[in-house]
Amino acid sequence: MKIQILGTGCPKCKQLEANVKKALEETGKKAEIEKVTDINKIIELGVMATPALVIDGKIVCSGRIPLTKEIKKWL
Amino acid sequence: MKEKNAFIIIVALFLTFYFMPVGSDWLDNALLSGFALLHEYMTQHVLTCLVPAFFIAGGIAVFVKKQSVLKYLGGKAKPYVSYPIASVSGAILAVCSCTILPLFAGIYKRGAGLGPAIAFLYSGPAINVAAIFLTASVLGFKIGLARAIAAIFLAGLVGLTMAFLFREKTAKQEIALEEETQQKTSKTAITLFFASMVGILVVNGLQIDWTIKWGLMGFMALIAVIVVLLKFKTETRNNWLSETWSISKLLIPYLFIGVFIVGFIMPLIPEKLIIQWVGSNTIQANFLASVFGAFMYFSTLTEVPIMQALIAKGMNQGPALSLLLAGPSLSLPAMLVIRSILGNKKTIAYIAIVVIYSSIAGLIFGMI
Repeated sequence: MKIQILGTGCPKCKQLEANVKKALEETGKKAEIEKVTDINKIIELGVMATPALVIDGKIVCSGRIPLTKEIKKWL
Repeated sequence: MKEKNAFIIIVALFLTFYFMPVGSDWLDNALLSGFALLHEYMTQHVLTCLVPAFFIAGGIAVFVKKQSVLKYLGGKAKPYVSYPIASVSGAILAVCSCTILPLFAGIYKRGAGLGPAIAFLYSGPAINVAAIFLTASVLGFKIGLARAIAAIFLAGLVGLTMAFLFREKTAKQEIALEEETQQKTSKTAITLFFASMVGILVVNGLQIDWTIKWGLMGFMALIAVIVVLLKFKTETRNNWLSETWSISKLLIPYLFIGVFIVGFIMPLIPEKLIIQWVGSNTIQANFLASVFGAFMYFSTLTEVPIMQALIAKGMNQGPALSLLLAGPSLSLPAMLVIRSILGNKKTIAYIAIVVIYSSIAGLIFGMI
């Protein structure tokens, strides 16, 4: 599984990353995490509102910080 | 690396305090002035202006969905819709540049095109609820209002000029929007909620007897609290509080540090120099103020204490507005990011246009 965290590096994106890591830890699943900080790439992925979470190429959430609980459901 | 950084910091602190001219007059004055300015902000601006403004900003983040604004900024949007929407939407959407830049890039590349994208880029940092009301609270109602109006107006103008200079075809695409989650709060409740909180800020700016003022403000705060308790779902309420908290956490530390630094250097600013350069409302003074504002980096809201210090030292109202218009939306770091999206030519044009228009707006304001 490939998880992409999209954001230009503001505190919200870091919070999202922390939530994702916690979700992975709690479910025991393994995934490759990639942080996308380049704005042009973010747009190419079709996201307009950061922070955003992309799992296996699919945008699951953008513009807000999802809770760890929610992330677990998407994994 | 971390160890090395820690070492450097400790050495720097050591050297600072080792060579600190303890007991000298200028240092005593500067420190006292720094604390005095902080005290002024705590007693006069934090409770009555900043706190309500942060709660409003939190409410906006919960109730105004970015997606709903983007609907009007898609590839098929008519210019008479997209420009006004872009010019004001910055005001309600943005608190930090990290939300602005992806939206800007998206509107530019996939939506309404260069003009509206630029209008949005300018209006975002230049007008937000907290900045406008803090300006009015600290610098006076007149300049606060002028800042809000001029910023919205300039946003559209800068966008139109850019679109005129670089007539280019954009691939007309529709922006892919996410499914909107249904808001279950009634419209009346939301309206009442925002109206009562904006009311607090407005009453605070009125020149009326303080018992009436505090009575009215307390009354409106009570309405807001009642609406939140009775009409909001628990989830909405929690979202609102957490958004408010994250905005406050982001802005307050910088503002307080900024206020102290400004207070600290205030006695050291040579009054003569300020009066000589920006003391009167001339073309040169306005231009100088815009250029200075464009390249300096102000963290959101810190432009207000900086302006307060400069005005106290004799800066004219005209150049002050020029600086407020050019300052927050342009800064060296922002320019670098914008360059990576727009390229050199457009970035330079954008900066030049903002500087020139800000100077003109300041000049006009100085004459009124």
